[in-house]
Parts: sequence; structure tokens; C-alpha cells
Amino acid sequence: MSSRLAVALPSVALVVVACVQVALARTATLSPWKGGGFGMFASTDGLPFRAVRLFVSAPERSEEVLVPPSLDDLAARTATFPHDRALGRLARAVGDREARQGRAVDRVTVEVWRAAYTATLHAEWTKLTARTIAIDAAAAERPR
Amino acid sequence: MRLRLNALADSLDASTALRLTLVLLLLRPPGDLSLRGATWLLAAVALAVPWLTSARWVWYGLALAVIARLVLGWPLADNHIYLLAYWCLAIALALGTATPSTTLARASRWLVAATFTCAVIWKVLVAPDFLDARFFRITLVTDTRFSCIAQRVGGLSPEQLAGNREALAPLPAGVELLDGPVLVEPAALRALARALTWGGVLLEAMVAIAFLCPATWPPARLRHPSLLLFIVGTYAIAPVAGFGWLLAAMGLSLLGDDRTRLRLAYLAAYGAVLIFAETPVVDWLLGCYRG
Repeated sequence: MSSRLAVALPSVALVVVACVQVALARTATLSPWKGGGFGMFASTDGLPFRAVRLFVSAPERSEEVLVPPSLDDLAARTATFPHDRALGRLARAVGDREARQGRAVDRVTVEVWRAAYTATLHAEWTKLTARTIAIDAAAAERPR
Repeated sequence: MRLRLNALADSLDASTALRLTLVLLLLRPPGDLSLRGATWLLAAVALAVPWLTSARWVWYGLALAVIARLVLGWPLADNHIYLLAYWCLAIALALGTATPSTTLARASRWLVAATFTCAVIWKVLVAPDFLDARFFRITLVTDTRFSCIAQRVGGLSPEQLAGNREALAPLPAGVELLDGPVLVEPAALRALARALTWGGVLLEAMVAIAFLCPATWPPARLRHPSLLLFIVGTYAIAPVAGFGWLLAAMGLSLLGDDRTRLRLAYLAAYGAVLIFAETPVVDWLLGCYRG
């Protein structure tokens, strides 16, 4: 192993991951705190200031449900980086759970919000992104 | 006493940084059970058997375990776990060269430089709410880890702190409360937020510049003082022990054979971070410890 390569490789990996993290945080709502870009303690846009809201609908049913403890980890991952696949995964997990518990469910909507603070420290919830999944269609998509 | 310290410093050799990294892996293992078992096994065996401390395959294994931890935990892993992965990889790669200590010292220098440069870029160029002290004004109130310093240094009473948390709770867009809680910010709290903001970013910038500069340039003389000050100062307030231990191990790996006092200083910094993380000493010193 060349000494120069051994010195360069870890630092190059760090810089590449950090550049990707900054790009994802700027364009795809990844939290600045996570992803290997060293943006921790730089912004209030961390997990404590993000929230996931879940809405379930079916004929004669349309309601918001709380994130169940069994889906806390998935919800935290989704809030931290709410890209389409993560939103879909959480929506399907919620739909499956509702169906397992015998409750009617046709569609699940996942919304991710963040608390935005103005210079005067007035805070408002701002919707970052949302996705609705039709649960039957989602079941058909799953590998059998 | 001096002789004992000298003897202690002399016993710290090139593998001390590796052993401190192994201790860190044992103290802060991954949450996933199988990964934790693999990490503990590799780290414990390498710590117990001296020749395994410098075995390349052990460090490739540990690097893989840390990378697996990042993948399984994506995107929730903290940034120092990424640095830990690069560091384990750097050790494994350096052990495969003809001059492991020199190669590891150079890799360590660039990893520290890159880490602090990224942190400064985030705070100065990317984050919209850091330089105006908004981040620390909010964090001192909302983050319970900072409650003690917000009260003892910032001058908030427990009642004001609780009221401020309510005042900073976000509302739905367009909503204004008629008789909502009012944010109380004593001058000392505002000054503390500004000091943490500017002190933090200037210290990080100093570390970044010192490590980016060639060793013969004047700012490079500040490499060790700035890194040691960062480790001891930051991790007394922000309890992210894993990051502090990692930086202390990396700092130690930068030293040649003749830097006795600095080797002791990094060992002391490692110990200080351990004490900050695992004992209530900081709360006790600030007068917040309630047993």
C-alpha cells in the first residue's frame, strides 16, 4: 500500500460524503445535523424540531393517528431525511399496521414538518414534504 | 512526581492512539446487537493481546463494523461515527505501509483539517441561523443538556426556563397567541449565546487553519493548543464524549517520540472528556448537581 494513498483515502472519503450531505441538505431536506457533513450544532433544523404527521383514510374514516412506538425509529429516519421512498415506506408500515389491527384503511398520508424560527425567535411549523400512498396498490407493489 | 509523569509519558508509544480508539469502541458500541457483539469482540481482543492492536485485519474489521453501523442506522448516525469509520480505515491502511506511525500522523492531520473545515463551512456559509446567534439562543432554552449553563451562567430561573420553553414552542402557520408565554432573555443569556456562537466558530476555524497550513507556517504552531482547547472546552459543555475521545486519540497519533508533555496533555484530555461524560462534575462545578 502506498503511503500517499493511505493518507489520502480516508480524507477524500470524508470530503466526498460531506459534499453529498451538504447537497442533500440544501436540495432534498436532509437535516443538517445528520449525514456526515459535520453540520451538527450549526442549525436548529435537527430532529427535535421536525415532526411527522400521519393521516389515515378509508370509506367513513379520515383521521390523524399518532406515531405508534413500534414505528418511532422509522418515523425518526423519515423526519431526518424525508425523501419519497422513506415517506412511502413509513406510509406502508402505517397502512399494514392499521390493516393488522382490523381497521379500515385505503390511503395513508405522511407529512413532515419543521419548526422554523424567525430572527425574533417566533416559531412556526412549516410543511417540508408529504406523500400519500394507496394501501392496496402498495401491497401489490411488495415482493411476494 | 515529575519522574512519574515522565515515566508515564515515555510509556505512551505509537500504539497508544490505537488503544484509546479501542477503548472508545468498547465504551460507545453500536446499538444493533450483532454489530455490538462483533465490535466488542474485535476491540476487546485487540486491546487484550498486544500484537493484535497493530494487526491490519482487526482494523479493517472494525472499519467494516463502523461502516455497517452507518448503513444500518442511516440517516440517524451522529457525525463522529462517520469520523470513526474514516479513522479506523486510516489505521488499517497505515498499518499496511512501510512507515505506519508517520502515515497515520499525516492521515490524522488531514482528517482533523477536513472535519473542522466542514464544520466551519456549515456554520458560516450554509446554516442560515447560526452566526446571528439564533441557534444558541434557542438551544440554550430547549436542549435540556444546556439547562444547567443556561441557569448558572445565563441567569435564568427554573421557572423562566420552563416558561421560555413554552414561548419557543412552534405554532401553526399564521397563529398568534393572545396571552401566550413571553420569552425572557436576560442580558447574560444573550451574551452567553453570542459567546458560544462566536467562540465556537472561531475556535473551530483556528483548528481548521492550523491543520490545513503546512507544518512550517506560523499558524501550524497552534495545532495542538487549539485542538486540546476544543476538546476540553467543547465537551465540558456539549456532552458528545465519543467525538472528544476520537479527537484526543487522533491528536495523540500526530506526535513524534519527543513530545512528552503533549502526549500527557492528550491523555489528560481523553480522561477529562470521560469525567465530563460519566460524572456530574461539570454540573457540580456550576452548582446544578442535585445528587
